[in-house]
Amino acid sequence: MTDTIIEVRNLTREYQMGAELVRALRGVDMSIYRNEYVAIMGPSGSGKSTLMNMIGCLDTPTEGEYWLNGLEVSTMGDDALARVRNREIGFVFQTFNLLPRASALHNVELPLIYAGVSGRTRREHASGALSRVGLSDRVDHRPNELSGGQRQRVAIARALVNEPSILLADEPTGNLDSTTSEEIMTVFEELHAQGQTIIMVTHEADIAAHAHRVITLRDGRVHSDTKKAA
Amino acid sequence: MRLSAIPEGAAIALDAIRANKLRSGLTILGIVIGVSTVMAMASIVQGIRGQIFETLEIVGPTTFRVLRFFSTTPLNPDALPREVRIRPVLSPEDAEAMQDLPEINYSAIWVGLFERLAYDRTRTQLLVVYGADPRFMEVLGGDIIEGRTFTPTEARAGTPVVVLEREAADRLFGRENSMGKVIRVGGRPFRIVGIYREPDNIFQPPGQDIAAIVPFRAAERNFRYDETNSLVILVKPRTGISVDVAMDAATLELRRIRKLKPGDPNTFDMITSDQILGLFNRLTGVFFLVMIVLSSVALMVGGIGVMAIMMVSVTQRTREIGVRKAMGATRREILWQFLVEAATLTLLGGALGITLGLGAGEVLKNVMGFTTGVPIWSAVTATAVSIAIGLIFGLLPASRASKLDPVEALRYE
Repeated sequence: MTDTIIEVRNLTREYQMGAELVRALRGVDMSIYRNEYVAIMGPSGSGKSTLMNMIGCLDTPTEGEYWLNGLEVSTMGDDALARVRNREIGFVFQTFNLLPRASALHNVELPLIYAGVSGRTRREHASGALSRVGLSDRVDHRPNELSGGQRQRVAIARALVNEPSILLADEPTGNLDSTTSEEIMTVFEELHAQGQTIIMVTHEADIAAHAHRVITLRDGRVHSDTKKAA
Repeated sequence: MRLSAIPEGAAIALDAIRANKLRSGLTILGIVIGVSTVMAMASIVQGIRGQIFETLEIVGPTTFRVLRFFSTTPLNPDALPREVRIRPVLSPEDAEAMQDLPEINYSAIWVGLFERLAYDRTRTQLLVVYGADPRFMEVLGGDIIEGRTFTPTEARAGTPVVVLEREAADRLFGRENSMGKVIRVGGRPFRIVGIYREPDNIFQPPGQDIAAIVPFRAAERNFRYDETNSLVILVKPRTGISVDVAMDAATLELRRIRKLKPGDPNTFDMITSDQILGLFNRLTGVFFLVMIVLSSVALMVGGIGVMAIMMVSVTQRTREIGVRKAMGATRREILWQFLVEAATLTLLGGALGITLGLGAGEVLKNVMGFTTGVPIWSAVTATAVSIAIGLIFGLLPASRASKLDPVEALRYE
């Protein structure tokens, strides 16, 4: 299946840091297809966080093109980007980034609020997403009443609730022990098996090994791009 | 979308308030004080207005007054301006002349005095004593509960008789029967012929209730008083005659007996209840304006407090803002969220202030004997103003929140 979901051409991002011009991305080209499970690797400073922000539509490139699901994202303004993030991208963060005073259910409802889904439908979708990650019995718990693995699963449920084109995970196991990390990887595996496109940024080789394709960045360019034989 | 953000924003706000009870409490204190001040002031002014209205209602909205000179402040009787000095002092004959007019139902000259009452060894402080005419109840209201009012003969002769107000009678005599006894009014002997009961809600400064009424002629004979400020002729038109018509007739009659030529200015002033009310409204208007300015200072301070706390809140929740943006919140939605939060905070302060103000109003009502409550419009205004303060002072923090860069915000520790 060669249905392109991400098309990146000559993606460049420069920052002005004081007097110095930092060139975080120096022309990245890549394509990611529907239902791929991709890990983006690279040492710190390789530009993988910047690329992640670009793919997540949190940042716009200095130069180059970014097409997401047929939309040219690289030229969009703030509000349009917010809409794209809401519809097309599900974020999973290293530090979970759940709202501390809100219940698991309410955390998962968050993207639906911004999608304009209201009332019962919203709660139904949210509890559906929570049961997809095996947390239907933790709906009313607050983040501090949940274990690290459970918190990350709430975050995954939140990422999935709007049925995004891509699940974008930034070091999803960075704050978890190895057993819990495996548990989360199993969840990713299952989601991928259900057809979810997953892009995961990590610096851990054993976590990247779960992906079916590994893109390595170095000095703001794609260094290697290897597909695992199925 | 924006409407659905209100309950969401309010829930977030209440959550944040619960989490920082003391901080939020101190933040909204200024709003609470400001709003309750406005409410209490509104109820005072409303209460006084109510009493003025009631008094004028008793006196009758059609009753008008003839004065030697109408001034908003009492004139110094020892240094009268020339324009006053050339005017004749009001006399019982003026009142009688108007009484004879077909348009007039009641016309009598009154003098207001402050005198001590004494019986045996009991002595009161200075109390209000009116020198009036036997039909004084038609103007003051109330009724005779014992004995009688003085007769027209006593009135004409200036017989030293007195109708004592019930409270003054209680003070002087206790349970003892007072009828027929001779008391001293300002040192002069007066015989009690009746006991009068004041109407309940008559507007009087505390301690200045009417204590006694004596015939005008008796007052004239026994007491010294200031002829400009103390004398007034109260005039009531006949039923079916408008105040304007009656005033015209009274003016013509007074001009006639004072032998004024056409073109000469009047040597007296006439004022209606409406004019007194208008004067009162002007005075309370100024008072109210001052109060509103003062309490808006409190509200401003409160608003600045809210702004400061919202700034802190935005900084503390930078990450939350980043997450919300990552989840698809637009700038406008973040702006709206924080505005709703600020408005919730100030609305809460407003509600507390309204409760406090209502309480204070209730206390004032009992202490000062007002019959009217706190006006609804003041509660409505207070609510609207608190929300507006939240929106205005929340704007800066909220716009700062909305402009945060999501990448930076998510990285914020």
